[in-house]
Amino acid sequence: MDEKWQKIREIFDAALRRKPEERPNFVVEACGEDKSLLAEVESLLSSLGSADGFLETPVADKVADLIQSKNQRLAFGTVFSHYEIIEQIGEGGMGEVFLAKDTNLNRKVALKLLASHITEDKTRVSRFRQEAFATSALNHPNIVTIYEIGKWQARDFIVTEFIEGMTLREHVRKKKPSVGEALDIALQVASALAAAHGAGIVHRDIKPENIMIREDGLVKVLDFGIAKYRPTQNGQKALIETEAGEIIGTAAYMSPEQARGLEIDPQTDIWSLGVILYEMLAGKLPFQGATKSDRIAAILEREPAPLTKTGGKVSLLLQRIIDRALAKDKRERYADIAELAEDLHLLRETTGDKISSSLILPIRSRRSPRRTYWLAAVSLLVLLSGAFGLWFYLSKTRQMSGSARKSIVVLPLKPINPASRDELYEIGIADSLIQRLGLIKGFVVRPLSSIRKYVDVEQDALAAGREQQVDYVLASNYQIAGGKIRVTSQLLNVESGQVEETYKGEKATTDVFAMQDAIANEIGKLLQSRFALTSGTPATTRGTDNEEAYRLYLQGVYFNDKRLPPDGEKAVEFFEQAVKIDPNYARAWAGVAFAHRSLIDIGADVDYQEQHRISMEAVTKALALDPNLSEAYNALCINKLNYEYDVDGAETACRRAIELDPNSPLAHNTYSRLLFSSQRKRFDEAIAEIKTAIDLDPTAFYHQLVYMFALTMSRRYDEAVPQLERLAQRNPKRALISFWLVSGVAFQGKEAEDFERLTRFEKLAETNDETIKAIETAYQTDGWQGVLREHAEYNAKHDQTFYFTACAYAQAGDKEKALEYLEKTYQHREHWMEYLGVDPRLDNLRDDPRFIELIKRVESK
Amino acid sequence: MKKQINAGELTEILQNWSDNKNPENNNALFNLVYDELRRQAHRFLLKERREHTLQTTALVHEAYLKLVNQKKDSWESRGQFFAIAATMMRRILIDYAKQKHRVKRGGANDDLPLEEALTLTVSNTSFNLIELDEALNRLAEKEEYLAKIVELRFFSGLDVSETAKVLNVSESTIKRDWAMAKAWLHRELTR
Repeated sequence: MDEKWQKIREIFDAALRRKPEERPNFVVEACGEDKSLLAEVESLLSSLGSADGFLETPVADKVADLIQSKNQRLAFGTVFSHYEIIEQIGEGGMGEVFLAKDTNLNRKVALKLLASHITEDKTRVSRFRQEAFATSALNHPNIVTIYEIGKWQARDFIVTEFIEGMTLREHVRKKKPSVGEALDIALQVASALAAAHGAGIVHRDIKPENIMIREDGLVKVLDFGIAKYRPTQNGQKALIETEAGEIIGTAAYMSPEQARGLEIDPQTDIWSLGVILYEMLAGKLPFQGATKSDRIAAILEREPAPLTKTGGKVSLLLQRIIDRALAKDKRERYADIAELAEDLHLLRETTGDKISSSLILPIRSRRSPRRTYWLAAVSLLVLLSGAFGLWFYLSKTRQMSGSARKSIVVLPLKPINPASRDELYEIGIADSLIQRLGLIKGFVVRPLSSIRKYVDVEQDALAAGREQQVDYVLASNYQIAGGKIRVTSQLLNVESGQVEETYKGEKATTDVFAMQDAIANEIGKLLQSRFALTSGTPATTRGTDNEEAYRLYLQGVYFNDKRLPPDGEKAVEFFEQAVKIDPNYARAWAGVAFAHRSLIDIGADVDYQEQHRISMEAVTKALALDPNLSEAYNALCINKLNYEYDVDGAETACRRAIELDPNSPLAHNTYSRLLFSSQRKRFDEAIAEIKTAIDLDPTAFYHQLVYMFALTMSRRYDEAVPQLERLAQRNPKRALISFWLVSGVAFQGKEAEDFERLTRFEKLAETNDETIKAIETAYQTDGWQGVLREHAEYNAKHDQTFYFTACAYAQAGDKEKALEYLEKTYQHREHWMEYLGVDPRLDNLRDDPRFIELIKRVESK
Repeated sequence: MKKQINAGELTEILQNWSDNKNPENNNALFNLVYDELRRQAHRFLLKERREHTLQTTALVHEAYLKLVNQKKDSWESRGQFFAIAATMMRRILIDYAKQKHRVKRGGANDDLPLEEALTLTVSNTSFNLIELDEALNRLAEKEEYLAKIVELRFFSGLDVSETAKVLNVSESTIKRDWAMAKAWLHRELTR
């Protein structure tokens, strides 16, 4: 026993004498400076942690299983259920396969019998049944048909169609297939897999033994024995999942992730089909080794020899297909089996000997039928042949209808491989695109805040386009491969559903920002020329060179947009982290300013004075770094208007914000709020401004709410009430907030209507029964006045915004209380003070000298 | 052939064997025990209707009882017998597995993927019996005693207390050493 082993043993042993939670620290201590010793002991402890059950069952019964399965063959003529055994035709880990005769229907069938010793093993039985269910769920000419799933004399069996032909293994052993034949076979397998994947089933064990070839060339895929149910697109749940980490499958055809025992997805079948294709063409396996572990090592580490070196005449395109199917990193593989199939199709068109094309079914692509393939762009072969010019579709119809501005929404980029997502790509590129397209004169681009919600859902580009009320959708996907990002974008016409432009680009990911800008610029130019428009000069609007800071900034923007207190605090946190990492990041400073300001406006429990101070400091920093930053001016405007009550200063800032970014919905929103304040009363302009904000970002609740408020302050009740109803429908949780902004003024004299609406909204907002009861009682006793008083008292008791309490008291006719709360509002520096002169809810106070004095005090600030 | 030896004789022979005094005797005994174990194993493994839970210990016991005159049974001799029997059981079972494997593979060409016949899946770990055997040899090079524990427990089916008795150490020590052996082998087989 060497010395090191001795040490490892001692420390490991001593560690085991301690409680599991004490072990990590103990080991670190015990190993001292010896890092390699520490690594060794730690790896052993971790191995022990995952070795539950390992070696705990004596091996003899496993061996017995092996021996027994050999000795339990059903003889010719044995009757099994209503099947008569003809001969054994196969044997696998799970049991034997017999050719049998169905005595009822008098036809030949394949009978697969689960080995009797496995019957006791519940996991394996369920796996056996799983195969049956998986396969029977698929109705596809390239997938073997299941006739019966049953149990007879305690033995599970599956009966399938009997395929007269040979396995692909036997087939290739007889004669090496031509390229055309190999492609035909691969295509049919791909077709079967596409159907399976579409149903949420991954085969997981695609190998030549599981592929049958009929005499007429029809291919049938068998043995969905270890198929795994995945949740399907329509959300159907998985039935049974084979445990991740369990290595099942045949070594030579295993994908790297499978060999590692990682989570398996359809990508694994793409790999296996790649191996088969390679094997058919090269006459040997791409990954070889004397033992199973050597083979696995080859799969994990080595690149297969290029096909050209294996003897055959092979086009570059074919090599490309193999390379993409056999990419070790599954993110670099084909996005889905359909994409692989399309390339195979394409290649087959160029290959002379088409032998069984009628047997190949078209594979339904899940994406737009006009989708173009990146492969075509790189395939000189294809382009030179000229026949595929049409195929490489690029609409160049240049039609500009009218002079109206085109509205467009840029969707977050969709990952081709959802397993590895990166916000820098998904939102980051979209952000760059929004900035770039926003420069094009004649374009109205939806802001970043409006597109966030399309990140997490299965994107339906056209539905998003309709929701955003735009003329066009720019929908893109991306794929990372070998240090490069490949982006495909399509410009969709929402009305016609047509793809009007397609962009494909590939960029290195080494400099993420340069990549984002380059892509945005290329797409910008493409669309500019598509619509014959001009644009302003692209400015560097991102404002940081630090990826992490940018990431944090995007997070901040996301939480900021939610406009609810807990999210507001998160927004603050993200922006502050961003400026910590990059103190010269102007946009993030503007974010800090806006987020702190918002904490006050959304009613978070914070010190207003302190928030205001921080916000103003951040404004100053942002503007010092970038004097042309619209967002900073917007934050400045809100601060001046809401806290300092400096309407003139606010107006200057607001106008500047709009001038710098005429497409900023937030800037128009702020300006609108300024315009209908006591000191401006420019109601028509205010409504026009908020309508502009809504046009720019139709889905944001906030603009819609301000629109309703503007209508109320303008006393345009006929429009305010329907807007209130719309808001309540759209955001039931905030129905009450909306209600009380308009309460009792919009429906003067119609108390019953008021009451009906309030109780309806209370229910919409899922308020507790107690509150509803209190309102009902108040209404029954004192009518609508009673409800208003009840509301005021509720507010007062629950420390709601003072201004709202004041309004409710004023409406209920309690001047003293109303004035008391208005004074509190003023002292507390709540915003709303700027509306004293216009708010209809305060009309009862208009002639009170104390109220007049308060307005003066505010205005003289 | 029906030869019985008594426990005293067996102890003596075993002692000689471990002291390496009398090699011829060793061979004779080895063959004797091995043949008997294999016969038992074969009968056991090929039995048409096996009990669902297989007691390998019962098998070894049976072999022991066949060989040793029960009346003068002593734990000492039984323990030593078990230690040797465990090594033999390992060899027998591996041989069976290999033989089965050969049958399954037929004469197929080398590009054929290995069949899964030898792959055991325990909990989340799959491993090949041959690979385990090889790993166990490597473990024995580091510390034979640990490999012996694995033979006793995994190949011979002894429980912790039986293993402790055979190796003449405390149960808690066996538990920790068994953990060490498992951790090391598990790592070997999953890397």
